[in-house]
This record gives sequence, structure tokens and C-alpha cells, in this order.
Amino acid sequence: MVNENLVKDVVKEPYKYGFVTDIETEKIEKGLNEDVIKLISQKKEEPKFLLDFRLKAFKKWQKMKEPDWAALGYKKIDYQNIIYYSAPKQKEKISSLDEVDPKLLETFDKLGIPLTEQKKLTNVAVDAVFDSVSIATTFREELAEHGVIFCSISEAVKNHADLIEKYLGTVVPASDNYFAALNSAVFSDGSFVYIPKGVTCPMDLSSYFRINSGDSGQFERTLIIAEESSSVSYLEGCTAPMFDTNTLHAAVVELIALDDASIKYSTVQNWYAGDEEGIGGIFNFVTKRGKCLGKRSKISWSQVETGSAITWKYPSCLLLGEESVGEFYSVALTNNLQQADTGTKMIHIGPKTKSTIVSKGISAGNSKNSYRGLVKMGTKATGSRNYSQCDSMLIGDQASANTFPYIKSQQPNSEIEHEASTCRISEDQLFYLQSRGIEFEEAVSMMVSGFCRDVFNQLPMEFAAEADKLLALKLEGSVG
Amino acid sequence: MEIIEKIKTNKSDDNLTEIQKICLHKLQSSPLPNPKSELWRLSNKSKLSTFLDYSVNEKDVKFDIPYSKNSQSTIRLIIGENCPIKLIEKNYSIQQLSEDELQKYIKEQISFFKQNENWSDLLNLSLSCKNNILGLKINGSKIPPIEIFSHASSNSLNAKTLVIFLEKNCDVELLQVNLGKENSSLSQSTFFCLKENSSVNHGVVSYGENRSNLLNSLNVIQQKNSAYNLGSLHFKFNYARFEISIKQSAGNAKTNIKGMQITKKDEQISTYTKIEFNGPNGFLDQINKSLADDKSHAIFEGSIIVPKIAQKTDASQLSRNLLLSNLAQIDTKPQLEIIADDVKCKHGATISQLNEEELFYMRTRGITLTEASKLQLSSYFQEIISFIPISKDKWDLLDKLLNEN
Repeated sequence: MVNENLVKDVVKEPYKYGFVTDIETEKIEKGLNEDVIKLISQKKEEPKFLLDFRLKAFKKWQKMKEPDWAALGYKKIDYQNIIYYSAPKQKEKISSLDEVDPKLLETFDKLGIPLTEQKKLTNVAVDAVFDSVSIATTFREELAEHGVIFCSISEAVKNHADLIEKYLGTVVPASDNYFAALNSAVFSDGSFVYIPKGVTCPMDLSSYFRINSGDSGQFERTLIIAEESSSVSYLEGCTAPMFDTNTLHAAVVELIALDDASIKYSTVQNWYAGDEEGIGGIFNFVTKRGKCLGKRSKISWSQVETGSAITWKYPSCLLLGEESVGEFYSVALTNNLQQADTGTKMIHIGPKTKSTIVSKGISAGNSKNSYRGLVKMGTKATGSRNYSQCDSMLIGDQASANTFPYIKSQQPNSEIEHEASTCRISEDQLFYLQSRGIEFEEAVSMMVSGFCRDVFNQLPMEFAAEADKLLALKLEGSVG
Repeated sequence: MEIIEKIKTNKSDDNLTEIQKICLHKLQSSPLPNPKSELWRLSNKSKLSTFLDYSVNEKDVKFDIPYSKNSQSTIRLIIGENCPIKLIEKNYSIQQLSEDELQKYIKEQISFFKQNENWSDLLNLSLSCKNNILGLKINGSKIPPIEIFSHASSNSLNAKTLVIFLEKNCDVELLQVNLGKENSSLSQSTFFCLKENSSVNHGVVSYGENRSNLLNSLNVIQQKNSAYNLGSLHFKFNYARFEISIKQSAGNAKTNIKGMQITKKDEQISTYTKIEFNGPNGFLDQINKSLADDKSHAIFEGSIIVPKIAQKTDASQLSRNLLLSNLAQIDTKPQLEIIADDVKCKHGATISQLNEEELFYMRTRGITLTEASKLQLSSYFQEIISFIPISKDKWDLLDKLLNEN
């Protein structure tokens, strides 16, 4: 007989990224109005088109209502009680990493992010974002040799304004949804990636987002453009300190893949989830969308969602180009009082498009974990196919798992398959493993890892190992 | 608001029954279903307004039953015919519910109603006059099959209500036939209460004629160890909604559902099911099939709710859909909401067209394309039709469906 408490004990592990870096920051006043937006734009020395984009988005946002359809319950967010710009104070211009405040480097060191020279051996280029600004991007010269542009979005606005003007807001328009509109109005920093025609990016690119301040929101914006026949793999990681207050994180990610291009976007999200009583934690409202514009283009999302008090996130693919491919692999783990409403949208517009969805949800403690997905076959999507699989695992009798797949087809010559199942950690399997001398916790961890195997296989190697470890840590103490 | 005015102008307040008054009052706060709610979001608004356009009719016009009674032993009832029913035999008894029993039960049900989920029931009960409510209490075993008809007359809106109590240890086969006439609207609400150890094979066959509309709602409460098997078929309606709500009040019950809807021309037929397990060891096996042709639209939405108390629930739900035309649409949304951990729940959904390989195989064997598609369709239909009680040997539904293709 499985001891419920034992299982519960396996999911508990203190959040080890909860420290605060004591650094002098430059913050603006709380609240949001046109002047704040103008101030942000001015601080970032932005061209006029961007300020117009922001103001237009703000006008739209004011007319919009916060969505309430997700299976989430949280106290109302006071949007006037948030600081919309916060940046660590440092010298005006940084020419090398040596000039970055050592405290900041220390922070990223603690998080295990390779920013400093000796750590560059890992061959991953990193863009590190601290609160509202990007503080460092590594490996730039090497990337530049291949023509790859990898920098913070603020730099891109200055140096590659034409690309920004051409693509910003084309995948996720400002009026797309409430949080996307808010982000469009106040976005502070994020990453920009441009892979020129025919280039396979020589290394994995990575962004690391860190929220340090308790009262400022983080609104980053990422834009990745893959030109014809190019390919890139992009990794994203996030952590935040422990505060008793809820911090808002509303990001927008836009991907564009042209003919024969491929983009792989992997996320390990480990924002602070709040304590056992549900106090504090990040409210994570993210709009991620990729546009497979070109023929045979491919966009693949893989995510491991373990943090945040509230997660509202639906990485999607618009499959426009003929024979384009969309993929979504996700593991979402919720514990204690966490709530996650996450899934994907696969919109098949062009002919012969294909999509695959594999979603694994694990809910423990008193948490709520919902999969919400949309698969739509448009009238022109002849010969298109979709396959979806959503599995949920429940740990303890207080957790809930929901599945809401929306499926819509307007094209007879297309196929959609969806399957979902819900189960618990099987006592027989646990017993079997234990009878072979495997410790209880290890057995649970092995089974969870096996449950997520399909998704972990899709993650880049370093991430897969990290994700496995993260899951085991998160589950420590809650399985029984 | 119009619909409420219509009911009121038909009758003075004094002539309304207490139930009608309660329901009207509830309807007044939301005269139309909320189009933003998931249950009504995809519903065609103009078709719903056509449904409500016809004038309310309480009187029944004689109608022809579409097929003759083959076996003498079948019991036939027509809602609205208003002849007293009292059958007491050696093994079984079928009796009409007394007015008090009916009132009490319906009032109790209304207290559980949710405005959006039960809008069709509220409409039905505010329209249904005494004559159009049939309440039955069925007891015993070896009961001959029962057929219950409900029909609409042309150019009018009719409402019929059926309440059935299945007493302990009772076992029965029951077929409900809803017939739509040209340019008509039928509102049919059925309340089923299955007591302990009872079992029923329930068939619901609804078919209309040109431009007929239907709001069909089915509410089932299953007590311990009861078995509820439902086979349903809806076709030939300009607009039809079939809303099923099944509650296993203390778990330990079995539910089997096999339903199908066929849409052609510009028809819209939707099926909404909500199955709640309020106790442990519940079982559900559900399959819903849709076929959409021409410019039609078929919708399926099914939710399975497993609260903490419902440990060891075993539920599966499958939505299979055939989309046969470029202009047709299919929406399907199977949902699971689970809090109990020791459960087995799964669902699946597919949308495709006829299997090309199978068609090709048959054609290489000299079968024409039309015949080959008919063969494929008949196997697709057969699974559901064979589950509908009574009809299978007497009334060849399959033939009817295929020949209209």
C-alpha cells in the first residue's frame, strides 16, 4: 500500500533560486499611463514607430477586459500598483563583460548561467535579462561571423530598426489579447535573433530571465526570425526570488520561419511558485506564437513548466506555408497551490501541414493543472494532419487535472486525432520497483521521469538533464 | 423577452401551473441563453431564433405514427394524448405518477437547475401545460418494450415533458421517438430517475422533416447499482440540440452511451453531454459519432466530472467524426475534469473522411464508388443503431439513413 504522506514528501523541495541580489536599481514610479510609456520609450531611446506601436497597444489595452475563461482563480491584479521599468544601475555602455557589475555576474553564477569567460566552454550563447534590461550577451563575435544577429531587443531597435519595424507585432498583434496588448505597450527588453538565409546557427542560443525586484513586473519580448533554409535552437530559462507579493510576468514571443527554415524553442520555466500556503509567486501570462510562413518550415515548442503561482500560456503555431510543421511538447508540473492552464493552438491554414502535440501534466498537492488546446483545420488545409496526446498524472487526492481540447475541422481531406488519459502512480509498478531494492523516492522519480520521457527526448541535451533533475526536486516530498 | 410574452399572451396568469410560473420567473432573468457560455457559443443564433419564432401550441393534432406496430406486446404511448395509463400485470406495473408526485419531483429538479445549462429545460417547463407532461412509474421485470412518441405540429412550437421513475430491481427497454414536422419546433425534456438495481436500455430517435427544429434535453439520475444504456440518433433537423446530463448520485453505477448525429444541407445538430460521478466505482463508456455533409455543422461537447469522492471511476469517451464536404464543419470538444486520483479516465477524438484505402480495396473488387461508400457508412452507422432498443428489428433505421444519402 502506498503511503500517501510519503508520496507527498517527495514533491517538497525549497526553491533554491529564491535569493535577492542586493543591487542598486533604477525604477520609475508605480502605475501605468501614456506618460509612463513615453518615459520607457525615451529611456530606451526608441524611434518614433516603436513609441507609436506602444501607444496604440496601450489604447487597445485600455478598452480590453482581462480574460476569465481559463480554469484559474487568482485575486485581481492591480495594474496601477506595478512598476513598469526597473533596471540595475550601471555604466552607460558596456563594451565587455568585465564592465558588468560583479554582483550581477555573481547572481547569474549562482543560477548556473555561463556568462563569464571560463564558462563559455559550454558552447551556448547567452542573453541574460535582469528585471527590465538585458545585461549581457555572450559569443557575439562568433555568431556575427556567420551573420547571425543575437542581441537584446533594445539593441536591435537601435541597430536593426528595419527588421524590427517589419516583423514586430506581425505574429502576435497588439490587439491579440489582454496580456499581449499590455506587453506591447510596456515591454522592456528581451532577445532578438536573426538567422540569415542558409545558415545553421553554429551553437544553441539561450536567454535567461531573472526577476529581482518584488514590485516591478517583467514584460519581455522575444522575436526570432529564421530566413530561408536556416535553422536555430533557442533555450529559455527563468527564475525569480521569493517574495510574499505576486509579481506579474507578461511576455510575448514571436517566431517567424520562412521557406525550409526551422526553429526549435525550448523553455524551462521555474519562476518562484509561492509558498505552501499559496502566498507569493509569479503570475505568468505569456503569449507565444510562431508563424510557419514559408514552405516546409518548421516550428517546434518544447517546455517544462514547473514554476509560477499562475501559468497562462499557450505556445501556438500558425501553419501557413505548404507542408509546414508545428510541434508542441510540454511537461507541466503543479504542486501545493499552483495553478496552470496551459496548452497549445495549432492552426492549419496551408495545405499538407502537419502538427504533433504531446502534453504531460502532473498535479500534486492542492494544485490545479489544465490542458487547453485548439486544433483547427481551415478550408484550404487539404491533406493536413494532426496528432495530439495529453496525459495527466495525479498525485494525491486533492489535486485536479482537467483536459479541454477544442477541435474544429472545415476540411474533409484532413485528419485529426486526439487522445487523452488520466492516471495515478501505479501501486503495482511502485511495488515492483521497491521489491527490486529501489528506494521509494527514487522509484516515484523514475516513474515520473518515464511518464515525461516523450517530452524530455525533445529537449536539447543539457536541458533534458536539468529538467529531469528539476522535476525530481519539485516532486520531492509530495508523493506518497 | 418575446418568448415569455408569447407564453403569457397564450394564457392568463391564473391558468399557469405553479411550475410554469417558477420557470417563467427564472427565464425572465435570462430570457435567452448566454451566447458567451461554452454551451451556447457555437449554437447558430439565427436558427435558435427561428426555433422560438413559431407560435406556442398546446393542442395536439392527430398524427400518423411512421411505422406500424408489429408486435402486439409493445406498449405505445403518445405524450399529449392524455388517456389514463394503468397497467398492472403479474410481473410488472406501469402507472401514471400522481400530480403531487410529479410536482414534487419537477420542483426538486428545478432547484438544481443552472441558468445556462438548463435553459432548454426552463423553456420546456414554462411551455409545457399539464396535458403535455407524462409521468410514469415503472415497476417489475419482464416488461414488454415501451415506445413513447412526442411530436410537433406544423407551424407551431410544441413542448412535451416526460418523467419516468424506474423502481428498484426493474428492468425495461424504452424507445423515445421525437418527430418533427415541416416548419415546426419541438421542445422535449425528459427526466429519468433510476432507483437501485434498476436497468434500462433507452433509445432516443429524433428525426424531422423540412425545416423542423428540436431542443431535446435528457436528465438522468442513477442510484447505486443501476445501469443506464442510451442509444441515440438525431437527423434531418434544421436545428437540433441534444443535451444530456447524467448524474451517478452515489457512484457504483454503469452508464453506456452511443449516440450519433447526421447533418446535411445547412443543418446544425449538436450534442452536449455532462456526466457527473458523485460516488466511487462509477463506470462510463461513451461514443459519439457525427457525420457532416453539404454546408452543415455538427457539434459535440462532452464533459466528464470526477470529484474527489469518485475514486476508482473508470470513464472513457470517444468522439468520432466524418467530414464529407468542403463546406461542412465539425467542432468537437471532449473534456475531463478530475480531482480524484485513483481513477482511469481517457478520451479520444478523431475527424476524418471515409477511409480511402478501404474504398480503393472495394473498388478493385468491382464495387462501385457509391456502393463502397454506402458500405463504409453502414458499418459506421451500424455500431450505434444496433444499440438502440426495439427499433432494430422492426424499423430499419439503417436503410432509412442510407437511402437518403
